[in-house]
Amino acid sequence: MTHIAPLPHDAITDPEMRDLIAQGEALGVPDDLFPRILARAPAQAKPMMRALLMSHVRGNVDHKLKEIVRILLARFADDKYFASLRSRKALAAGLTEKRIDEGCFEYEDAAKDFTEAEKIALRFADLMYLDAGQIDKAFYDEMKKHWSEAQIMELGSFMVCHYGMAMFMRSLGAKASR
Amino acid sequence: MSANPDAVDAAFFDELRMHYNESEIVELGVFIAVNLGFHTFFGSLKFYPLFSPDGRLLTQAESEALYGSAPGALKAEAVT
Repeated sequence: MTHIAPLPHDAITDPEMRDLIAQGEALGVPDDLFPRILARAPAQAKPMMRALLMSHVRGNVDHKLKEIVRILLARFADDKYFASLRSRKALAAGLTEKRIDEGCFEYEDAAKDFTEAEKIALRFADLMYLDAGQIDKAFYDEMKKHWSEAQIMELGSFMVCHYGMAMFMRSLGAKASR
Repeated sequence: MSANPDAVDAAFFDELRMHYNESEIVELGVFIAVNLGFHTFFGSLKFYPLFSPDGRLLTQAESEALYGSAPGALKAEAVT
């Protein structure tokens, strides 16, 4: 049981919130546990769910790469809940558990065949909450060789939302969903 | 939540409930989580407040000199 209990389904009557929960369940991230806790603060719940879903699914960065980034950050945050979830869209596009693990732990290994663009995006995620001091002008200059400024902001904002919520769910004592 | 998340345990939530209802705790948690994430990212982008505390418009170089080169709220070690 989480430290803050999720609301029962029938206690959530706002149509938009119910739709956002359904969107999360269809994607697989988040499942209904997180938004039913979030729904205790309705003014925060809807914008947060919109931000999580939009930053994950929409944009111009490959969804499979963002899914690896999300899991890397959830594992780094030691959040069993978000780390256990998987995007059905990413899995349908061919993402595998083996590739997720390679992306989290072995992306610098040339034998794993990550592109230079993918490597620096994963390094971006790896360093952001481990040693942000290394994400300096030289790092961004290198990133700009592979990603547009819009894509860098897309990745950064995505990481911010998902890492923050992973830390929150860890604090709530949420367990793995599977 | 940022510097020592293991300290945010059941006892801590019990203490929080003595002062806040569950809706307020979720509101605080979301606010803290978003800020925890954003300040680190924004710090890496090296941009600073546009105005001095007395309301003067600053260049980014002046603002960096005034406010410092690291976000003050997140100087603790990253979570490992």
